[in-house]
Amino acid sequence: MVVGELAESADLLIIGGGPGGYAAAIRAAQLGREVTLIERGGAAGLGGVCLHVGCIPSKALIEVAGAAHRTGELSRAGLQASGVAVSLPRFQAWRAELCARLARGVGELLARGGVRVVHGEARFNRPDRVAVRTPDDRALFFEFEHAIIATGSRPIELDGLPFDGARVLDSTAALALEETPASVAVVGAGYIGLELGTALAKLGARATVVEALDRVLPSVDASLTAPVLRRLRALGVDLRLRSTAERIDGDRLVVAAPGGEERVEAEKVVVAVGRRPNTDELGLDAAGIRTAASARGADGADGRAPACATGLIPVGDDMRATERIAAIGDVVAGPALAHKATAEAAVAAEALSGMPAAFDAQAVPEVIFTDPEIGTVGLTEAQARAAGMDPVVATFPLAASGRAGTLDERDGFTRVVADRATDRVVGVHIVGPHASELIAGGALAIELMAAPGDVAATIHPHPTLSEGLREAAALALGHPIHVSG
Amino acid sequence: MTSLEFRLPDVGEGIADAEIIAWQVAVGDHVTEHQDLVEIQTDKATVVIPCPATGVIASLSGEVGDTIDVGSVLAVIEVAEAEAASGEAAAAERVPAPATERAPAAATAARLPRGQLPLAAPTTRRLARELGVKLDAVEGSGPHGRILREDVEREANGEAPAAAAATAPAPAPTPAPPGDVVPLRGVRRTIAHTLTRAWLEVPRIVDYREVDATALLRARASLRQRALDRGEQALAKALTPTPFVVRAAVLAAREHPYVNASIDLEREEIALHRHYNVGIATAGPDGLTVPVVHDADQRSLAEIALQIVELATAARDRRLRPDQLAGPTLTVNNFGALGTWMGTPIVRPPEVANIGVGAIRDQVVAVDGAPVVRPTMVLSTAGDHRVLDGDTLAAFVTTLARLLEDPVLLFEDLR
Repeated sequence: MVVGELAESADLLIIGGGPGGYAAAIRAAQLGREVTLIERGGAAGLGGVCLHVGCIPSKALIEVAGAAHRTGELSRAGLQASGVAVSLPRFQAWRAELCARLARGVGELLARGGVRVVHGEARFNRPDRVAVRTPDDRALFFEFEHAIIATGSRPIELDGLPFDGARVLDSTAALALEETPASVAVVGAGYIGLELGTALAKLGARATVVEALDRVLPSVDASLTAPVLRRLRALGVDLRLRSTAERIDGDRLVVAAPGGEERVEAEKVVVAVGRRPNTDELGLDAAGIRTAASARGADGADGRAPACATGLIPVGDDMRATERIAAIGDVVAGPALAHKATAEAAVAAEALSGMPAAFDAQAVPEVIFTDPEIGTVGLTEAQARAAGMDPVVATFPLAASGRAGTLDERDGFTRVVADRATDRVVGVHIVGPHASELIAGGALAIELMAAPGDVAATIHPHPTLSEGLREAAALALGHPIHVSG
Repeated sequence: MTSLEFRLPDVGEGIADAEIIAWQVAVGDHVTEHQDLVEIQTDKATVVIPCPATGVIASLSGEVGDTIDVGSVLAVIEVAEAEAASGEAAAAERVPAPATERAPAAATAARLPRGQLPLAAPTTRRLARELGVKLDAVEGSGPHGRILREDVEREANGEAPAAAAATAPAPAPTPAPPGDVVPLRGVRRTIAHTLTRAWLEVPRIVDYREVDATALLRARASLRQRALDRGEQALAKALTPTPFVVRAAVLAAREHPYVNASIDLEREEIALHRHYNVGIATAGPDGLTVPVVHDADQRSLAEIALQIVELATAARDRRLRPDQLAGPTLTVNNFGALGTWMGTPIVRPPEVANIGVGAIRDQVVAVDGAPVVRPTMVLSTAGDHRVLDGDTLAAFVTTLARLLEDPVLLFEDLR
């Protein structure tokens, strides 16, 4: 690094080009700010983990694996197909092109907003200044008026199982597989682990899921996981609860189980035990920011497992950590979800531009692309009770849905939780096909304070899975059509 | 952490529910015992209920404008003393301290605490931020207290809430007259409802009686001087005509028990009360309230006088407790303090009498055939004709007038 360097001035500097960072850049540009965005992957890295090694590629893999698997399942409905197979190399080429195209799209949006994208890794060296190390090892300095930290998170590594990209994989490497392993051990039954495990099982791998806790998907209410567990069993996924992955021994993964040491067949081991915020190499001390030693954010407070234990940046409702610097996405408390980062991005950009913005979303939906999918938003019955409400809970079973029948699906439900005192929907929980799409209706109902009567009186098209929400709301009122109240 | 469920206390006989007028605390607030918790409206008056314990407000039941039943949960308070014992729960609530130039208040979790969902849509919440309006201060006029954009705008402009206007259908054919519309809320609404009922229900008779107040004023002057001599300025000040009338009314009612009574037409009964609880009509900031001097027959004149002052002060400060409003058996209304000479008090069922006290003023009266100037006071005593006939009411007033014209008789019974 050069000493006595000359700094460029930056009006609004954004560190990280993921779904938080690029959304903040676009919103700030709309507000007339001159935006400089630092992305360590350069223009090709725009979109971040979500676009390149997270949401998008994983959904692409789940889609292809699911489609292949379903052709076999629909044989009883008359579908005759043979020799259906997934070519992972072709999938990977298609996926790479898809991600590159989407990243180019982000780049075009940023260019249209006049956002300058700088390739490099940023580090604060003063409360108003960062140094950026470029790929060719030059140092650039920026003195900023305002900055937004949107550096995201990375997978947590286990001591006994360091990632090597060949045998022990993080989610990124697992999504880049060119060949379906004969056997795979997935460590961690959170949503990333279960999504990957399910997809690999559908591609033909013998899958084992190892989880230290006594349940899967600890971030959602246990009642939502039963259909997923039944499905995992049907797919032949071997679930080892209360078990800890210890080390590799030959072609096996050694697991400490309640009954003693077990050896699990594992050509590949995928470790998905959580994510850690990328805040340790940002020079936050120099910025005047201290991360939380043991952060228990909004997530911990509502009974969900914290996304990670340490390294979160404390922020206010306006996402600011200091007068000049805001932080958004996985580096602050709350679920590590792209849509939460995007929502926070607008707040940060507006707040730093002098608008009275605040992150006051009443509910952050969570979607899990297991089989069946889970979509959940707002309060569960237990959370509603804990909040002092007298909840009305109504559950409409998928088996009563005509459209679900045409999909040959019957395991799942739509549940509405409403507060009796204020006559409003406070939670919607959907388990079933396309729950990830359907849950937005629940989020809308919650934010707009819909009464169950409002939802029930809103015409939902037939024959669709979306009718489940209307039926559950009608059930809450005591007059459903397709089940007996 | 221990949760204390605080239920709406039984605020007095006959009161089954109360309307929430204003929460004085919010969920998450640290509160101390006796701190104001909520302002409620019974069918008698507005009262402030204090917090029963020190701790943190976990939840509040009901929105402003909701009616809640006696005995139902009003608030849940996490009691502070348990805080230390539950490390896990406490840690969950603790917010990491910011090592920044920001005010500590800003460093909260980035999401609203669960269960504290404001009844407002996102654009309404945004508008509130833009206009600098705190949502928990806004009275929602939508269904179940939902806060609408108009409510936020109204709050920002410092206008009165329109909740009542929204629920009370306006007479459609008549165009609204020019001028301000004041919604009927709180104490005013209660006064309107209870007095409509009183007026329609009670066949009222009024006895107007002139009282020579010469002796009363002399007695009052002597007692005042005694109080001042003893350094009891407060008592001296409290010795208005009202405590004299209260004591006289109690003594007279003992001789005429049908005045200290109530009527129940359903059961076809008249209850003759053994307690003498005298309601004191009091002008409060929100309208008329009637706090009660309980067991007035057991109290000295000085005690009555001081208590009337205490009740009037509490009413003025909106600090009346429910028990201070409960169970009147008879009412005294000293409208003379306002300069009124004669009045027409309204009997508030189930009571059967209301004694109006006029201003004392010098009048020319005939004494032994000659015009003489005497300080004179008119009593306007209203009675419920279902219980009191003209003669029974007149008999009571005659006794009352005699006691006031010769106030030494007030001390005949030295209790």
